[in-house]
Amino acid sequence: MLLPLAPYARLAANRALVRALASRELVARYRGGALGFLWALINPLLLLLVYATVFRFVFAPRADVKPYSLFLFGGVLAWAFVSGALQDAAETFRSNGPLLRKTTVAPEVFPAAAVLARLIHLLLALAVLAAAIAVAAARGSVSPGPAALEFPLVLALLAATVLGLALAVGTLSVHFADVRDIVGNLLTLAFFVTPILYPVAAVPERWRPLLRLNPFATFFSAIQNTLFFFRPVTAADWLWMSGTTLVALLGGGAVYELLRDSLAEQA
Amino acid sequence: MSARGPAIRVHDVVKVYRRLGRRPHGTLKSALLPGRVRGARTTPVAALDGVSFEAAAGESLGIIGANGSGKSTLLKLLAGILRPTRGTVSVSGRLAALLELGAGFHPEISGRENVEIAGLLLGLSRREIARRFAEIVRFAGIEDFLDEPVKTYSSGMAVRLGFSIAAHSDPDILLVDEVLAVGDEAFAHRALERFAELERDGRTLVFVSHDLPLIAERCRRAIWLDRGRVAADGPAAEIVARYRDHVAAGEGERRLGAGPGGDRVGSGVAFISAVQLLDADGRPAGRLRAGEPAALEMTVHAAEPLTDFVFGFRLVTVAGNVVFGVNTSLEGLRPARFAGAARVTLSLPSLDLAPGVYSLDAAIHARDGAPYDYRRDVLRFEVTSEVAAAGVWSPRRTWEFEGDVEWQEGTGSTRRT
Repeated sequence: MLLPLAPYARLAANRALVRALASRELVARYRGGALGFLWALINPLLLLLVYATVFRFVFAPRADVKPYSLFLFGGVLAWAFVSGALQDAAETFRSNGPLLRKTTVAPEVFPAAAVLARLIHLLLALAVLAAAIAVAAARGSVSPGPAALEFPLVLALLAATVLGLALAVGTLSVHFADVRDIVGNLLTLAFFVTPILYPVAAVPERWRPLLRLNPFATFFSAIQNTLFFFRPVTAADWLWMSGTTLVALLGGGAVYELLRDSLAEQA
Repeated sequence: MSARGPAIRVHDVVKVYRRLGRRPHGTLKSALLPGRVRGARTTPVAALDGVSFEAAAGESLGIIGANGSGKSTLLKLLAGILRPTRGTVSVSGRLAALLELGAGFHPEISGRENVEIAGLLLGLSRREIARRFAEIVRFAGIEDFLDEPVKTYSSGMAVRLGFSIAAHSDPDILLVDEVLAVGDEAFAHRALERFAELERDGRTLVFVSHDLPLIAERCRRAIWLDRGRVAADGPAAEIVARYRDHVAAGEGERRLGAGPGGDRVGSGVAFISAVQLLDADGRPAGRLRAGEPAALEMTVHAAEPLTDFVFGFRLVTVAGNVVFGVNTSLEGLRPARFAGAARVTLSLPSLDLAPGVYSLDAAIHARDGAPYDYRRDVLRFEVTSEVAAAGVWSPRRTWEFEGDVEWQEGTGSTRRT
């Protein structure tokens, strides 16, 4: 049955609208400020400076990953994408309720646009990360390698996973008010059980299989590998990420498709 | 666009509104718990109940009926925003829905950017939008404000722009819901011209409106919906006339509109069996004229003889604001005895209420407030007046003007006493 894929087919047909909605979000967010769109770059830059300062003067950085602030930066940026996109997705149908009730638009464009807007933010922040890596490389603290070229594919799989989850989260939170809070709390928990603050190597050997149960763990380990350690992603990790992506897309698509008809009534 | 079968085909459509959870936004708990909790308040409401009709390409169809008769639901089903619970809706050709002008405008971004998004929302491609852009802007008359954020637009400008986008989206079928009520005269005129243009081009137009003259003039055919069913279907002028007769007949003899009356609490030691609003002639009425005498009356029964009782009325606007509340205790009456049945009447020599719909609560309770029978929203009535007034109080009044102030001959209210 192709039913779970139907929303993605429609998204492809409506891609111009998804793009326009996402850019509207970004434009509306940054318009008016004196620095405007630069904030999308300044924010991550300031975050990096805060890390660099805090782990130099306040907290002791982890000794196993150096420089720790650079290590942390990549993971935190990617996590901001995941958690921001899912939390936006939980609100998106409600905040676009008038449009759902008054226009003939295909509802899935809203969570998709929310994910895309967050993804664009991430891509801009990654420019800052790239610059930071270049500086670190020039000072000899990291030695970038070709494994970094695998990162775009990791990110593509992660974005697709988030899209699938966003469809499910968005749909369910229209019907059940609790979902928003549940998602918020799960994300807080997930932040700590995902290798962001620490490398996978820091997790005791016998717990590592358990880490796989967290759908995000493998993605973030792959992000650390490609953007910090510059090690190629293992075949097992590729397989696991692809499987996760497939399950998220199909599951999210199925949940959305089953409850779609009542969105306009409930949102 | 030529005659090749109906543009719209609605067959035996039923639309029942139902909610997954108990409340508008259910909780997971209410959905996961079986039966009892979940089913408790899910009373399905059939907004449409077996509606069938067809509309040929190039036809202009008006849909009329009282509030709650299912007009907007029908339009949303045609638009594909809602799905029918039963039956089928099929439309052929590109459809545009004018359910709310400017729906989806984002206040922070410019008119130009909003045109693009609104066009995409209507199903236009970027290229089509670009091609029509100049015409859309010209028709809306907002050339000078194109690059200003929409939040700086007057509501009239936003409405004109919203209309212009939809009207230029080249629809085969255009659904219009009451949108001409907004905007100024000149714009309404241009909008009507645009509709006529579309109709000449063989497009199908469906109007939902309370503006009966508009329907009678603008549409060739009308459908009158009454409580979710097709009450009549035929030439617009004729259907509008029949609907008007029906409404007029209903107004005269309408009994007091029984409110939903869902909320009722009390021990039942005494109870209220009937509540009525009486007009100046002492007849039950659901609609009264402001400034005329009126009376509120309730029939009460005591299951056993009582020595502690208070009768009260409370008048509330439909928005929930209390207009006034009185009871026998507040008036200083001390109860001695009440047994059997009684009729309690509160007479008002002049109903000084602003026009609008009001809801009445009636109660019998103990002096400490413990209710025997408290009936909230037990009846609703409408106050009419030739003179509009804001708020709830419309006292008898006079205006006086000293100095060089003049008014046109014959203007002003009859109540300028």
